[in-house]
Amino acid sequence: MKKKSLIIIVAVIAVIVVIIAALGGTYNSFVSKQEEVTAAQSAISTQLQRRADLIPNFVETVKGYSDYEQSTYTAVTEARSAVSKASSVEEQQAADDELNRAISIWVNAVTEAYPDLKANEQYIALTDELAGTENRIAQARKDYNAVAKEYNVSIKKVPKNILASVFGFDAADYFEASDSAEDVPQVSFE
Amino acid sequence: MIKKILSLTAVLLLVAALCGCEEQSKYPKPTDEFFVNDYAGVISDTDKNEIYSRCVALYDKTKAQTVVVTVEDLNGEEPADYALGLGREWGVGNEEDNSGIVVLLSTGDREVYIAIGEGLEGALPDSKTGRILDRYGMEYFKADEYSKGLLNVTKALINEVYIEFGIEAEDGYVPIDSIPETGVAESYGGKVAVSWVLLIIVVILYLLFFRKKFGFIFFGGPRGPGGFGGFHGGFGGGSFRGSGGFSSGRGGFGGGGFSGGGGSFGGGGAGRGF
Repeated sequence: MKKKSLIIIVAVIAVIVVIIAALGGTYNSFVSKQEEVTAAQSAISTQLQRRADLIPNFVETVKGYSDYEQSTYTAVTEARSAVSKASSVEEQQAADDELNRAISIWVNAVTEAYPDLKANEQYIALTDELAGTENRIAQARKDYNAVAKEYNVSIKKVPKNILASVFGFDAADYFEASDSAEDVPQVSFE
Repeated sequence: MIKKILSLTAVLLLVAALCGCEEQSKYPKPTDEFFVNDYAGVISDTDKNEIYSRCVALYDKTKAQTVVVTVEDLNGEEPADYALGLGREWGVGNEEDNSGIVVLLSTGDREVYIAIGEGLEGALPDSKTGRILDRYGMEYFKADEYSKGLLNVTKALINEVYIEFGIEAEDGYVPIDSIPETGVAESYGGKVAVSWVLLIIVVILYLLFFRKKFGFIFFGGPRGPGGFGGFHGGFGGGSFRGSGGFSSGRGGFGGGGFSGGGGSFGGGGAGRGF
């Protein structure tokens, strides 16, 4: 009789241990997936900041030309500081869209007023950097969406979703391309 | 019975076909030469050999991979996206250094784009890459002399990589001076790299900590292999910015030639229409 109850106790403990091990594994997989999402998000921020930092260089280049379209440039400085101040993902994206729009308006105004700027090596170089940064931002967002999707799927599937809600793992937001994000400053090299 | 088997086979075949469709890539498979993939048929044999041998020499010395691809059209994709997607899929470049370069030219779209792997963004920032195109390629591309243009551009890129690795560039090569005021590419490339290293360290420390502190409680008893699997699977399976997840090309192709090393691309590079 005593032997039997001992076996039962051992069996119960074994089951509990296995359950805890499984829970621990799931929890840890949530954590590492969430970390990837965070890292992907910071990669986006880095590239957004990179673009914001490129703008003063752009101004330096254009300054040689008597008046560098001050009126349209004001919008750029404002949008630029908004990007640096943005704290949430949504805020940052909105600020970035605004900056995108402002840059393209400004660049078009400048190149229209000073067509020979297009032949300026420094100007071409900065345009390349700006376009490359644009690519990096787009790519960083795609990569972010990919890891965010992986993470979201993992926390929403039954039965893991119960654990996820118990431990407070929230779904990650996706980045969606806005219309203005397509307005990358286009410069033709004729 | 036979009917049943036949219908089952049909279903299985259908499923296999559907899977096949899903996996079908929008990019062509690399050729046996790997470094030169002239799908548009515009590179002369002499130039092809020269590009190939230079790329092999570069790979032998630095493990960096330069891949030249010509296509007739990009199927509506942006040149930058196409070059990057192809570079990731083929796994161009060394996995540790992410030292891959894709030189893509589309004759139909009249576009040329050079995608730079993340590890080479310091050596070849976008502005310098654009300048290489301007200085060595554009006059040829505009005149439809693709072969000559691609050879010249590839030579310049390879020389710049040599300079980065502290190897002497070819005699007579004048390095493209990166514009000092820009200076952004290098500092940000570094920042990105540091944040990745930090992330990996944090995750590793985290795992170590958990294993040490709770290892005996969680996993010390009769070990449930199923439960434990999730623990490592979540970590190893995740792809760090595509370096693992997208490099399906690694070792998969190339009957006797070269294949991708698993390098990753982050969107750096420059392109031109002509």
